[in-house]
Amino acid sequence: MFTRRLFLKAGGVALFTLGAGPQFLTRAALAAQPPGRRKVLVTIFQRGAMDGLMAVTPLSGDLRALRPRLVMGAKELLDLGAEFGLHPAFGPLLPLWKEKRLGIVHAVGSPDSTRSHFDAQDYMETGTPGRKGTPSGWLNRAVGLLGHEGTPFQAVSMTAALPRSLYGDEPALAVTDLADFKAPAAGQSFEALYKQTSQKVLHDTADDTFQAMQMLTPEKVARYRPANGAEYPATPLGQALRQIALLVKSDVGLEVAFAESGGWDTHVQQGTVNGSFARQARDLAGSIHAFWTDLGTGYQDDVLLTTMTEFGRTVRENGSGGTDHGHGSCLFVLGNQVEGGRVHGDFPGLASGMLYEGRDLPVTTDFRAVFCELAGKHLGIKDDGRLFPGWAGKRLPLLRA
Amino acid sequence: MRAAVLTLTAILAIAFSLPAVERQPSIHLPWKEAGLTEREAAAHLLNRFAYGPRPGEVEAVVKMGLDRWLEHQLAADLPDRELERRLDRLPALDMSASEIARTYPPPGLLLMEARRAGVIREGDMKELENVEEEGDKKERRREVLRWAEQQGYRSQRELAGQLMTQKLWRAVESENQLAEVMTDFWFNHFNVSMTDNQSRGHLLSYERDAIRPNSLGEVRDLLGATARHPAMLLYLDNAQSTASEGAPTTFERRIPRRREMEEPAGRVRPTGLNENYARELLELHTLGVDGGYSQQDVIEVARAFTGWTIMPPGPRREMIERRMTGARRAGFQQEGEFLFRADAHDSGAKTVLGRKLPAGRGIEDGEAVLDLLAIHPATAKHLATKLAVRFVSDEPSPALVDRLAAVYLKSGGQVKPVLQAIAESPEFWGSVGDKIKSPFELAASAVRGLGGDVKEPRETLRWIADMGQKLYAYQAPTGYPDRAEAWVNTGSLVNRMNFGLQLAAGRVRGVDFDLKSETASRDEALRTYAERLLPGRDLKPALALLQPMIDDPGLPKKVEGATPVEQVVGVILGSPEFQRR
Repeated sequence: MFTRRLFLKAGGVALFTLGAGPQFLTRAALAAQPPGRRKVLVTIFQRGAMDGLMAVTPLSGDLRALRPRLVMGAKELLDLGAEFGLHPAFGPLLPLWKEKRLGIVHAVGSPDSTRSHFDAQDYMETGTPGRKGTPSGWLNRAVGLLGHEGTPFQAVSMTAALPRSLYGDEPALAVTDLADFKAPAAGQSFEALYKQTSQKVLHDTADDTFQAMQMLTPEKVARYRPANGAEYPATPLGQALRQIALLVKSDVGLEVAFAESGGWDTHVQQGTVNGSFARQARDLAGSIHAFWTDLGTGYQDDVLLTTMTEFGRTVRENGSGGTDHGHGSCLFVLGNQVEGGRVHGDFPGLASGMLYEGRDLPVTTDFRAVFCELAGKHLGIKDDGRLFPGWAGKRLPLLRA
Repeated sequence: MRAAVLTLTAILAIAFSLPAVERQPSIHLPWKEAGLTEREAAAHLLNRFAYGPRPGEVEAVVKMGLDRWLEHQLAADLPDRELERRLDRLPALDMSASEIARTYPPPGLLLMEARRAGVIREGDMKELENVEEEGDKKERRREVLRWAEQQGYRSQRELAGQLMTQKLWRAVESENQLAEVMTDFWFNHFNVSMTDNQSRGHLLSYERDAIRPNSLGEVRDLLGATARHPAMLLYLDNAQSTASEGAPTTFERRIPRRREMEEPAGRVRPTGLNENYARELLELHTLGVDGGYSQQDVIEVARAFTGWTIMPPGPRREMIERRMTGARRAGFQQEGEFLFRADAHDSGAKTVLGRKLPAGRGIEDGEAVLDLLAIHPATAKHLATKLAVRFVSDEPSPALVDRLAAVYLKSGGQVKPVLQAIAESPEFWGSVGDKIKSPFELAASAVRGLGGDVKEPRETLRWIADMGQKLYAYQAPTGYPDRAEAWVNTGSLVNRMNFGLQLAAGRVRGVDFDLKSETASRDEALRTYAERLLPGRDLKPALALLQPMIDDPGLPKKVEGATPVEQVVGVILGSPEFQRR
């Protein structure tokens, strides 16, 4: 720990004194990789369990009989080619699909059978289904396995509290508004005080902190204007992705980012073209589209974005025009290296004999098979067994090497 | 009622504490050997075995004698009348666990009640559960809430507020500081999270009934009380763990063997063995991750705890209560919210850590496992390590851990002898300032250091959350890691500095204290408050750094609305020295 920290420190300083003269040169020599631009994995957790069958609807099969009030026809759905239609509220994602940057994995999820939001989210975030005691989250382990020099913005969650995904040994920042990240009124006194302390963690963290504040001043945050005419929805998710774009473009060493999208627990009046599902879908798609537009060609190569949700929903609609807790769902992966324009994974169909416990879309792709592929090919993490302890499955091929 | 009881307790406490003044203390604290002055030693003791010194407290402890102060803390026998009076304002603290469950029902149960009472229609139910609703749904929600209030129901948010409030009040004000420190320690050790909505409503009772009464007692009692508490039974799923299909049970079925669970879509799903509690019992609560147990041990322990569950709500509860007399003869047990279902207990023979548990038993299986674990050498080492990390340093020496583990085993698994051994160790006295305060410790010690009083805790609690420790909300059963690296990162450090400044400037609403009346000049303020807030520390470096700021003739009367004295105090509270204990 100690040695590594010392090493990280050297890199961190180099980052913030970029171009400042000989000091920079000696420090850069210590760093494993030049600071500045890095590959970034952006994750969006759709809390509440997204109805994967409404998001990406299979066109063949008996869906109309199973969920008469919820099913949409070819007229409403957006054509994904082959066997699936996309919910119209995901429209902003369609161009990315056509450009083959956006891929979908269907019938994906956790092998654990729990239908508790709390447990299923916990398992997906620790990456250890069925085990509650895992101290760290998979994104935190990913940061550790990168082995890069740390920066205050290496792992950032745009949430009020640190999500379970980022629990662990590596420092991670939870913040909802980057403008809050500003120097205290007595900043100079503090800087001087912390420079003198013999307590190493306080000393080093303060050093990082004050330098980070110079990098990302409240003025810079306030001045930020999205590029290429990108328009983020005025929603928590839209604002979260806007700030992640700011971090990406500020070259502050961001490698793992986390954001949340709520409201997917559609037990009642889920709707079709409009309604509660459509509202959330519009926000998600609009936010992602704006983010991608904002990044522009200059940064898109660096960034890979994935969504995830704890489980799917029942194939049949319930008595309240909604769906209840199910099993498999789907997720979106966006990036220039993605084998896009395809629905990946093995979609088993909805024949009654195929359903999980007689009611749900089964899970044919373990979520870890997806995350390993993304972390492996995009971030260069090789050790899947340490990223997901206890898992020995194969990666799902999704990215071009 | 409670006031009367307490008065008596207080009298007894005083009566019994008097002879202690004449008795030779049985504790030897080797602070001199570590080169500390008595004042420095008292401050160190207050920083570790309490939530930091209050104004004048270092002197008071010196006067009383450090050893005698610690004796009282270990006995937790000091009267706390002021605090108790204040706690009387929190109604849930006086309710039984069942009363709490009735008064602060989870939202889902409340809606079911409302439906039964005809306040809402079935179709509205699930809509009301959804979070973001507009228009007439909002209005209907308000109707339900009005109805609920008339019925005497209160929200779980209010219950959570009382839980957090009492924790902060006790930490700031209690005379029995060590009991509070240890309650915090054991809660975190046996962590249950408010983020789990099943457990949420049980947390107040969990801390009050399972943790606090045993915080200076025996580990076996902590294990027993947490194992039986609904908060833990729900959080780690033991409540739904039953004998596997085909296994023999203590009471052969007249009731269906496998407990049936209502699923949202109306399907019935059987449950079987659930290993979650068993695994964390071994890994986190007792032996530790390298404690030498196997996956087979986890399964065997899980089998031993099958049938340990909770009382169901509503009519089924009444049915069970009516039948309990007969059921006890069949091996069932019920105590408060805890229920042992003999019909769900796997009664086959088991082998746990090489120890055979014979077939044909019931609740004794789980109890035997807890007996075995409480005094297992691996448990001793694991708990000794965690206590040393809390009280001494992030990386305690193996020698210290071994000594504490030996004390633990010799005492048969008692907490107090280990705490005393820590205070008697040279390692403890050689570790001044080595620990980083948790955000909660920081806030409590800042208010105590200012001689302050938390009248309205909401804003203080928000700051504690912003500094990275949302109370009772650590999601994982591991509890918050108690290491410097875990508490301090760039985000939390900024908030720590800002908290100091805002608190001193009187901008943390609800906290009362008085700075200005006591000091005339800035110089005096600096010296007074550095001495008061950092007693027993070498102040030279801090003073050297702060003095220029104070002397600056250009220093405006008020910087961002804070007077110079407030600024000085704010910088001290936000300084690295004050982050350490």
